[in-house]
Amino acid sequence: MNRSKRLSAFLSILIAVLFLLFLLFPLYWMLLTSFKDNSVLFKLPPEWWPSKPVLSHYDKLFSDGVFLGYYRNSLIVCFCTTAVTLLAAMFAGYGFSRFEFKFKSFALFSILSTQMLPVVSLLIALYTMYNNYHLLNTRAGLVIALTTSCLPFSIWMIKVFFDNIPVDLEESAKIDGATRFGILFRIVLPLTKPGLFSIGIYSFILSWDDFLYSITLINKDELRPLNAGIAIRYIGELSYDWSSIMTVCVTSIVPITLLFLFFQKYMVSGLTAGAVKG
Amino acid sequence: MRLSEKKKDFLFLAVLILPALLLLLFTIGIPILKSLYLSFFDVSLLSMKTQTWNAFGNYKKLFADQELVHAIGVTFRYVVTVVFLQFALGMMLALILNGKIPFRRALRTVILIPWVIPTIIGALLWMWLFQPQYGVMNFILQRLELIGKPLQWLSDIHLALWAVTIAALWKQLPFMVTMLLAGMQGIPGEMYEAAMIDGAGKRQQFFHITLPMLKNTIKTVTLIACIENFKMFPLFWIMTSGGPVNATTTLSILSYKTAFIDLDLGKGAATGALWLVIMLLFSWVYNRLFAIGEGKGGAAH
Repeated sequence: MNRSKRLSAFLSILIAVLFLLFLLFPLYWMLLTSFKDNSVLFKLPPEWWPSKPVLSHYDKLFSDGVFLGYYRNSLIVCFCTTAVTLLAAMFAGYGFSRFEFKFKSFALFSILSTQMLPVVSLLIALYTMYNNYHLLNTRAGLVIALTTSCLPFSIWMIKVFFDNIPVDLEESAKIDGATRFGILFRIVLPLTKPGLFSIGIYSFILSWDDFLYSITLINKDELRPLNAGIAIRYIGELSYDWSSIMTVCVTSIVPITLLFLFFQKYMVSGLTAGAVKG
Repeated sequence: MRLSEKKKDFLFLAVLILPALLLLLFTIGIPILKSLYLSFFDVSLLSMKTQTWNAFGNYKKLFADQELVHAIGVTFRYVVTVVFLQFALGMMLALILNGKIPFRRALRTVILIPWVIPTIIGALLWMWLFQPQYGVMNFILQRLELIGKPLQWLSDIHLALWAVTIAALWKQLPFMVTMLLAGMQGIPGEMYEAAMIDGAGKRQQFFHITLPMLKNTIKTVTLIACIENFKMFPLFWIMTSGGPVNATTTLSILSYKTAFIDLDLGKGAATGALWLVIMLLFSWVYNRLFAIGEGKGGAAH
């Protein structure tokens, strides 16, 4: 009995280690490759630990005059998307949580089911519309499109947070003569901070991940965000100069990984609240 | 007085939900209707002003050239494989992390990192790992003597879809594990204690407590995974561009290529429309399947 218990404990640790290798080794390999000189890169067997790490790929990347531009575009677009999503989702989530009205469940259901629609067929029509309204090749256009891809799940998540706040608080504030917006901003929102953090981070990650919207709606190189820029410029130009490509990769995941490590508590609680209850 | 309060409430509600609804209407509601409309016309990206009705011509073309049927097959094969694998493996890892394993709190955080890595970065990373001559994947597999000569992961008709599936698994497994784990932690411990007193083994506990209690979580996360993979574009686009010889051309790749590479917006829109119908059917069947399970569960108790 004791022996089989120890065996099963050993087995589960072994399996956990295998999973860890699968999930984390690629990231280590990416980091390692970015520090390898091209003379080392193609050695077989490969170097598992850099014998003489070089920074030349990073130097080259930061001085090429384009990469930092892509980076800036991405930061601008993602911060704007996150801000607009937060604002719109917080209002809508509060409305859906506190008021009863006709077609409410229908509206909520339709909002959530937009997640199912194939993005490419949306894009075909969106492209023609953007063309008519002169929104192609503008940051505003991209932000609007990305916001709506973040909104459905954000509204759903933040509604769950509002649902968990007792209404009594608001009622007593109302008796004290507070306005509706006053109640929302001074009483309810401070209590929903974790929820706001969750949807903020969710939107940032989602917009940092975007590829399809930005390659379709932006054709000007100076407006391109990171992912589209990487795919269009670096893959072709560096034609599989893997150390440089891995350098691009490492650099572009720094902000998102830091954000995640600082705020992972909020993110996990937010996502599980939204998905498990929904 | 009372009426005006009600009116104020109504106005307040409108201010709250209208911005979100209008945004969604503008970039999702109208485009989807417009795209259905476009699918009945001859429209090209070069001549968007002229749209001529072509009497289901786009749809006829689609069914005539076999590409669509092939793409539907590839899409389903990919979605079913990747969702099944991530569910099975995710359940395994979640069970381990839910048990008494050292460093489990740290592990739960670290394993989530691949999930925040942008999809196209994941695609590039796996292309390097799968690189035939110098990629570390072939090297390790050869060292372990699992394969004789290097595999052409991304240019072999039979391997390309698997290569993409592995990359997708790497990125999506963390989310699956986290969700299942959150579900497991919501199951009250007394249920397991009671089962142990009744002499139920680990396996029985899993099938009679864990699985049934997780049913709603499982339904939600697998549905999210199915939808996400039905829509998957960047992994395929970067890793294989649909090749070799259309072996990895899914519906999203096919409709994107038709609309934005061949510049035939009408035919692209028609592909999208059929895709939409397939998605609707799929989610209907999916809900039916879980409803059947519900009926059985009710009868058993």
